[in-house]
Amino acid sequence: MKITALLVLKAAPETSDPVILANASDVSHFGYFQRSSVKEFVVFVGRTVASRTPPSQRQSVQHEEYKVHAYNRNGLCAVGFMDDHYPVRSAFSLLNQVIDEYQKSFGEAWRSAKEDSAQPWPYLAEALTKFQDPAEADKLLKIQRELDETKIILHKTIDSVLARGEKLDSLVEKSSDLSMASQMFYKQAKKTNSCCTIL
Amino acid sequence: MNETCNVSRDIVVIAIETVDESLLAKESSIFNDRTLEIQELTVLIRNDITGLNMALSDLQTLQNMEIADGSYSHDKVGHYTAVCDDLKTRLMGATKKFQDVLTARSENMKAHENRKQLFSAKNAAVDNQNNAKAVPEPPPWSSSSTPSGSLQQQPLLPPVNSGAPSGSQLRRRSAIENAPSQQIEMSMLQQTVPRQENYSQNRAVALHSVESTITELSGIFTHLATMVTQQGELAIRIDDNMDESLVNVEGARSALLQHLTRISSNRWLMIKIFAVIILFLIVFLFFVA
Repeated sequence: MKITALLVLKAAPETSDPVILANASDVSHFGYFQRSSVKEFVVFVGRTVASRTPPSQRQSVQHEEYKVHAYNRNGLCAVGFMDDHYPVRSAFSLLNQVIDEYQKSFGEAWRSAKEDSAQPWPYLAEALTKFQDPAEADKLLKIQRELDETKIILHKTIDSVLARGEKLDSLVEKSSDLSMASQMFYKQAKKTNSCCTIL
Repeated sequence: MNETCNVSRDIVVIAIETVDESLLAKESSIFNDRTLEIQELTVLIRNDITGLNMALSDLQTLQNMEIADGSYSHDKVGHYTAVCDDLKTRLMGATKKFQDVLTARSENMKAHENRKQLFSAKNAAVDNQNNAKAVPEPPPWSSSSTPSGSLQQQPLLPPVNSGAPSGSQLRRRSAIENAPSQQIEMSMLQQTVPRQENYSQNRAVALHSVESTITELSGIFTHLATMVTQQGELAIRIDDNMDESLVNVEGARSALLQHLTRISSNRWLMIKIFAVIILFLIVFLFFVA
């Protein structure tokens, strides 16, 4: 479950290529010599997919062993390269978050961008590392996971409560036996008492 | 007699139609799509098979009536059963051939799809992948055509339903390939619109599951609460028992203590009583001796 790259692009009208506004990629698991080519590949595929995504649409494309998810909102397009195991929904919620964050931090400045910006955007890099675990990106997944854990804990609790019930049952038995025995004891004592007063 | 003649004739007709359809399926290529004809033939053959099934079951009931009549001749019954079994085996053979033809056709369609993929844009690849899964399924009643001797009518009905949607998918695809330049946009449209639906459906499903988990949890909590209250009652009972036994033991202790004091206080009296008794005994002994 891995995110390989996150890109933010400005999806220009159909004729021209999209302009890259921010780029963060994690190529640590490739060999040293492949890294630059992988980055190129990421840039190229990201551009292609972004240019083919119509506005206000989400799209997922399977490319070799990667799934490329793209979300285009009014010209601002976020593209993510994830592997097959990453759940699609969390991918899109992540892209949503990225776009919101970008719009908050850069406002409308991106609309005028004409060429690829080379400045790295730190939020994207830390987002890449933080969201390697899909539960972080998708609140629903997180909630589901926590609920499942709670359910397991509750099942264990119920088991222990049942055991407690059994123990209480045995305690009831023993205490009733004890009270019977003490009653007999009392009667015996009274009997021995009453017997000897005549003498 | 007449019915059996009709049935056997219909079986032959079905066999011929199946052969025709297999020929059509084999020779149809991407550019010479005979989908419509194939579909018609498929529907025809299916209807014929269902009709024949019904006729066969009628024959079977006739045969049973004859047997239940009581005054039957063994030869007649033997003849009936032989004829029925023969017709059934023939019908089964025809349906098996039909099924083979359908599988061959779906294989063909898959091959066509792969070749189309090579020439079409890469975005359509995902669409075709999703669609290709629906087509190459062999008809679901392949598992039910077991040589049990009696063909069921029910398993044939689902294939009629699945045949229609796959046919519409095939028609859509053949319509798409006619305009390769518009193909990309159309397939993307079809792809993105279901994708949007997919996304929202996904979210809806996830929310549903979360909601159901929460309800389950609430049920578990209520369960827990009931169990704990029941066990609380148990605890109260234990407490009462303990109090009762405490009271009993206290009473017994006091009784024994009384006993003890009486015994220990009465010692002087008892010594006197014993002394008197011993005196009496000695007096008795004196008297006798």
